[in-house]
Amino acid sequence: MSKRILVSILSLTLFALSCSREQNFDEKVLNLISSQKIKGFDPIYAADLYSANEVGKVYETLLEFHYLKRPYELTPNLAESMPEVSKDGLTYTFKIKKGVKFHDSKAFADGKGRELKADDFVYSFKRLGDPKLQSTGWWVWDGKIAGLNEWREKNSTAEKVNYAEEISGLKKIDDYTLQVKLNKPFPQFLYSLAMPFTSVVAHEAVEKFGQEFQNYPVGTGPFVLDYFDNSNRIVYKRNPTFRDKFYPSEGEASDESQGLLSDAGKKLPLVEKIIVNIVIEAQPQWLNFQKGSADLLGVPKDNFDQAIVGGKEIAPEMAKKGIRLSMVPSLDVTYIAFNHNDPLFTSNLKLRQALSLAYDRVESNKLFFNNTAQIAQSIIPPGIAGHKKEYKNAFVDRDLERAKKLLKEAGYPEGKGLPELTYETVGSTVSRQQGEFFAKCMSDIGVKVKISTNTWPELVKKTNTKTAQMFGMAWGADYPDAENFLSLMYGPNESPGSNSSNYKNAAFDKIFAQAAIMQDSPERTALYEKLYEMVGDDVPWIYGVHRTTVSLNHGWLKNYKYIEFNHTQSQYLNVDLETKKELLKKF
Amino acid sequence: MQDQDTKSLWGDAFSRLVRDRWALISLIIVLAYSLIALLASFGVGVPDWKTSMGAEYLPPGGSLWLGTDLFGRDVFAKVIHGTKIAMSVGLVTSLIAIPIGVVIGALAGYFGGWIDDIISWFITTFSSIPNIMLLISITLILGKGLTSVYLALGMTGWVGLARLIRGEVMKHKEREYVQAAGAIGGGHLRKLFIHILPNVTHLVIINTSLQFQTAIKSEVILSYLGLGVQGEPSWGTMIDDARMELARGVWWQLAGATVAMFIVVLAFNILGDALRDALDPKLKGK
Amino acid sequence: MTNYIIRRLLYLIPVIFGVSFIIFILFNVVAGDPAPLLLGKHATAQQIHDLREQLGLNKPLFAQYMDVVRSSFTLDFGRSWATRQDIYDMIRQGAWPSLTLTIPAFAISTIVSVLLSLVVAFYRGKGIDLFIRFLCIAGMSISSVAYILFFQYFLAYKMGWFEISGYEPEFPQFLSYVALPGIIWIVLSLGPDVRFFRTVILDEIYQDYVRTARAKGLGEITVLLKHVLRNAMIPIITYVVIQIPFLILGALLLESFFSIPGLGGITLNALNSSDFPVIKAMAVLSSIAYILFSLLTDVLYTLADPRVKLK
Repeated sequence: MSKRILVSILSLTLFALSCSREQNFDEKVLNLISSQKIKGFDPIYAADLYSANEVGKVYETLLEFHYLKRPYELTPNLAESMPEVSKDGLTYTFKIKKGVKFHDSKAFADGKGRELKADDFVYSFKRLGDPKLQSTGWWVWDGKIAGLNEWREKNSTAEKVNYAEEISGLKKIDDYTLQVKLNKPFPQFLYSLAMPFTSVVAHEAVEKFGQEFQNYPVGTGPFVLDYFDNSNRIVYKRNPTFRDKFYPSEGEASDESQGLLSDAGKKLPLVEKIIVNIVIEAQPQWLNFQKGSADLLGVPKDNFDQAIVGGKEIAPEMAKKGIRLSMVPSLDVTYIAFNHNDPLFTSNLKLRQALSLAYDRVESNKLFFNNTAQIAQSIIPPGIAGHKKEYKNAFVDRDLERAKKLLKEAGYPEGKGLPELTYETVGSTVSRQQGEFFAKCMSDIGVKVKISTNTWPELVKKTNTKTAQMFGMAWGADYPDAENFLSLMYGPNESPGSNSSNYKNAAFDKIFAQAAIMQDSPERTALYEKLYEMVGDDVPWIYGVHRTTVSLNHGWLKNYKYIEFNHTQSQYLNVDLETKKELLKKF
Repeated sequence: MQDQDTKSLWGDAFSRLVRDRWALISLIIVLAYSLIALLASFGVGVPDWKTSMGAEYLPPGGSLWLGTDLFGRDVFAKVIHGTKIAMSVGLVTSLIAIPIGVVIGALAGYFGGWIDDIISWFITTFSSIPNIMLLISITLILGKGLTSVYLALGMTGWVGLARLIRGEVMKHKEREYVQAAGAIGGGHLRKLFIHILPNVTHLVIINTSLQFQTAIKSEVILSYLGLGVQGEPSWGTMIDDARMELARGVWWQLAGATVAMFIVVLAFNILGDALRDALDPKLKGK
Repeated sequence: MTNYIIRRLLYLIPVIFGVSFIIFILFNVVAGDPAPLLLGKHATAQQIHDLREQLGLNKPLFAQYMDVVRSSFTLDFGRSWATRQDIYDMIRQGAWPSLTLTIPAFAISTIVSVLLSLVVAFYRGKGIDLFIRFLCIAGMSISSVAYILFFQYFLAYKMGWFEISGYEPEFPQFLSYVALPGIIWIVLSLGPDVRFFRTVILDEIYQDYVRTARAKGLGEITVLLKHVLRNAMIPIITYVVIQIPFLILGALLLESFFSIPGLGGITLNALNSSDFPVIKAMAVLSSIAYILFSLLTDVLYTLADPRVKLK
């Protein structure tokens, strides 16, 4: 009997195997992987990278970052042109493109998507401040748009949030003109208009779907959601009513030779369908890519040696399959923070310097970043104005002798008298190894470090209550402006704000407050550079590295270019079916 | 037939165990692991895992029997240190879980009535929440580390045994020999502990060896979830490391930890079975 | 019997109180504050306060406990904090993938184990007994993580026999996705199952009634199947039935590694992100399932062995 069951199971399995998915060469399909579940399709909650990537396929913003140009440059998207800014820098006037249609949806009376109007922006922007919704993007505009905070405050106790009430800062001039007034000069405002948070939504859909709105996105974007299972797969189809938007015809100098301009002037999007598989574990991600069932993949650290030879070239067996390598510096910084609320560190600069000197960044770069990262001298990554190339931090290159000397001067000769330090980190394998590495470096000067691993919420709790003594973290840019990094050192932002190391420095705070409201200018850059040096010398953190994003893509994927703010990328990507057919034969 | 002199019962069992070649080998393996664990906890005669012995990811060879890890540390030394962790996890969790399980299960099964109601309520409430949720929650509360692993595994490991014992005791108390013991004036506790419990010892024995190997394997899973042992090598953290090393051809850390674990878990299992055969009074005179 | 069943069903009430209390202690009292996590890295103190207010976390503890109890009894769990999905929808979507993985694997491993343990009991002490037991025990002595890593790499990727990861809800497509995790499940459970079943079968083999049966001249196989197996049924049923409720919750590691969108993965995600409503829902639902199935165990007791009386 057992035999018969086994046989029938086996034959069933074989039957199932024979009808598993086949590659389809009739239609351009983009196969992607998301390594996290997403938080739905409501733009006001698209705080994490993964949610932002999916929101960006169906929703659009007024502005976007130019797909090809570097350094990053804002270009109009739903806006007809870049806005007019008043002399005092407070009033922004936008012309909106005509003839843009929302996706067809049952939310609209006739099922057909209606035209986008200025009112929709007023509505969507208010939603970002809606006190009942608690958007994760509220920080972007908190205290900045005239009247928005007052409206939020007033409605927080109301039964129903009143969207009909006019706000002085958000005004429709006519159907195609929008005016935004700020409370104070906020030069980063324009960047916020390229973030997914400020995407335009249709109020009919919000009203019709209520709490389910996140599952029924109705945007103006290049793709329409077709299937959504948050733990399995997301499928999109090309939006048939998408407006005329074209692939850019200019970019960086090297773009031409890399074939990035071959689709110049073509109507977007370039593929018919996108399939995003949710694959959380690193091994299946890697194997799926190797098999050709994903077009694009970030390289996990431990697959690096397999993929890349000598830290530069793609491995020959992958090159044979037509796989290509992309290595681009990312706008971020890794660090080990001191909690400046802990008297041990606040008053003892020499101790901080000693620990920083004892940390081996060269080895850490080798072990954890395959030597692709750049050692950080201070907080601002290269590629953002304010990063000063000439600046060399005196406490970054490992020097055990100096470290020991400083430790002695700090009052702890050979670590004696210094309590065991606690390094908080999250429980992932790599984070734990990084913690172990830090402890090992510190033991070389006699400093004892205990590693405590946490789930992410626990770590957040510890930093928010200022109880984490030291912790390893990384910060990625929300927008390409040094303000986004320097604000992590700004005293008034202390925990539970973004300054989670609770660093306070009156001189820094004064200059930062001044620079943060200046328009982009050489003067502002000079101030940023000053701040950059200031928080370099003062060693408020043990700086780590600026990382490099390493990714692989298959030969049939066209127009792939790394973009830090990549939620709009999929509309520019193309698939060459002929090449795919050819290349897959070699797998 | 139940009132055997316990000394000769165990002595007899031991001599039978020794006659079984496989069981003897397993016993020796378990004792050897215990000895290594003991030595490692006093730091006597075992290699040092903390210092870097060479470059990272050196393959096995020469004096480095199992090569080195990411930090150039001796993988063999890590395996040895992991032995200490594994044996202590098995021992401590068994010491917590077995007594709780036996006492709770026996009381419920024997007395029935409201005692059974209350204990069953307790067991049901406790065991109705998925094990892994309790494991994670308890480690979250206690903060991570070895102590939390002990307590979490100990506090969740008794439920299955309690249920089994309850069922067995329910069965046994209806049997003639217990009825007879009652008839000649044996008290409840006497009936329960002198007459019934020896008849369910084999369940305890089997459960102990199960508990041991479950504990060792659970440690790996807790490590996978980032909740395991902190700051020192265990087989769990080693296999967790290997999760991403395998694809780059580094197999020795996975192999070292897996084989070390395999041997001792296997030995516990064989020993458990052999002990069962040797200890079960019903098998006497077979 | 009917009285007994009704009384056991009423047990649901104290048990749900107990479960709510444990959940409340663990997640409302001890665990971390979810508000900063839900709001992201830029959250302000004011926002955190407002969100806590909305989530009812600023209420006194007793009121919070009553909230937990209320939602446990009304089965109204609301929405996930982390994914903002309706929890009923999540469970409805996740139950099927989990069941398509666990039920076949569980059924196969149970049937195979019972048969194997009859075989080893029949050949007890002989080479074949030792060999099968050795294989089963060896199989369970290897870490599940090691199996997953190796099988996925070798059988799915190198040999191409199975899908690497993913899922299709339709029959029979899902078979190709659940086959490999199912095999790992079976390999891991054969060991404990066979060794437990063998123990209970051997227990019965040396009972007097078996000797009597043999004395009557019945063949060993008849004795095994007709008498021994029947009496060994009680512990076997207990062992099998109490595992069933947890099948619904899926297999945490397997689902996670093979990207099967089941409840195991959802639970793991909820634990990692302090998604209390989802954890609460999973705990309460599993305890309800648990009670129903342990009731079933007790009923089966009486059917399998009339000597046990339900009071």
